[in-house]
Parts: sequence; C-alpha cells; structure tokens
Amino acid sequence: MKTQRHVFCQMEATLPGTLAAAEAFLSEYCCRRVCMPAVDWFAVELLLREALANAVKHGCRYDPAKHVRCLLRWRGRRLTIAVRDEGDGFDWRAAGNDTLDGLRTSGLGIHIFRQYATRFRFNHSGNAVTLIKRF
Amino acid sequence: MTDVTITQEAGAALVRPGGNVVAASADSLRSAMREAVAGGVREMVVDLTGVEMIDSSGLGVLVSAHNSLNKLGGSLAVVHASKEILDLFRLMRIHQHFSVSGD
Repeated sequence: MKTQRHVFCQMEATLPGTLAAAEAFLSEYCCRRVCMPAVDWFAVELLLREALANAVKHGCRYDPAKHVRCLLRWRGRRLTIAVRDEGDGFDWRAAGNDTLDGLRTSGLGIHIFRQYATRFRFNHSGNAVTLIKRF
Repeated sequence: MTDVTITQEAGAALVRPGGNVVAASADSLRSAMREAVAGGVREMVVDLTGVEMIDSSGLGVLVSAHNSLNKLGGSLAVVHASKEILDLFRLMRIHQHFSVSGD
C-alpha cells in the first residue's frame, strides 16, 4: 500500500483471470479498508466485485493465463476503481440501454455501475472500465 | 466456496446460501436450487441471514429461480436481507416480482 499526499490509500494488482484470484484480491481489500475513509462499503465492494467479475468472465473467459489489472485509489473523498483485462472487449455503447424490468438474469452489471457509481467510462475497445465514486 | 443448505418438506424448500451470493458461489447455489425445483419444490424461501453481499451473478440466480418457479405455478421469496441488499433489490426493480423482506 502506498501513501502519498492527498491519497489515503492505493491498491494495485495484476491477477490471473480467475474468480478465485478476484476473491483473494477482494479479501485483501476488505482487510485493508480499515485505513480507508469510512464510507458506503457495500457500494465500493459491489462496484469492485462487478468490475473484477466482468473482467474474469467476459474478458479472460476464466483463463488463468490471461490477466486482470486492477487499481483502487482514494484521493480525498473520491474513489477510483480501474480494471483492465486482456480480452477483446465488448460493445458497451449497446449495453445497458434496455429498460430495467427486474426480470433480467444477465447484463445487470452495467446497471449496477449506473446506480452505484458517480460516473463510469469504458475505453474504446471495451476491455477497461474506470469507475468514479464521490462521497 | 459457499455451503448451500436446503431443507425440503412437502413441495416447499428453505434455502440458506451460507455465505455471500456472488460470482464465485453462484454456480453452486444455482445447481442446488435447480435440483430442488427438479425434485418437485414449488415454494422456495431464500434466507439471507448472514449474507453481506449479493452481486449481479447472485441476483441473476435468484431471478432465474423466480422465473422457473413462476412458470410452474410456484413462487420464490427472500427473507432476512440486510438493508443494503434490500436497497439493491429495489434499485434493480427485482422486488416488484417476488417478496423481499429484511431482518
């Protein structure tokens, strides 16, 4: 963990593309969050989980030879979560435009981003997402 | 890995996920619930006591179970959800389709 001026906490990791590795990173995050600002932990963990799970499932297709790069950084009251995978990306421009009717069994992740993040953006190819949450 | 506990009696089942309902545990919960429905369960209650987190994969499992039971004339209910999880169900509009209650 690095401590810098105006940065409360930062975690970075490169993970194999498996859910077990994502869970290990989440466990480490949960241990370290005691040093982070007291905020809505549920929202932060949910956003982090969704970004990591998307990268593992859709980007890496559970291939441990592929990697997920994850950055979690606090700066003041602003949290940045950045996750990038080695997949081909997805058409985020067409995703999440459907009406949320409560009966969907997939494609909910982008709706969670929309509800819980202050803002989010994908890169051009759709294999990297940056989530911003202000508290 | 989550240890799912299912108690069945006369076409009804009480499901206790035993841990967070997230991507890493969703498959085992989905399998257990499908097996119960295939075995004749039509009324299912999911007890979220002790569950601190549900992600989109977990929500997908619960909505899928609801959809299956609904087609068979049955129903799904979620009980003992935390405030944060209740909020998530509401934001995703899932509470409009089956009963979701808190502690």
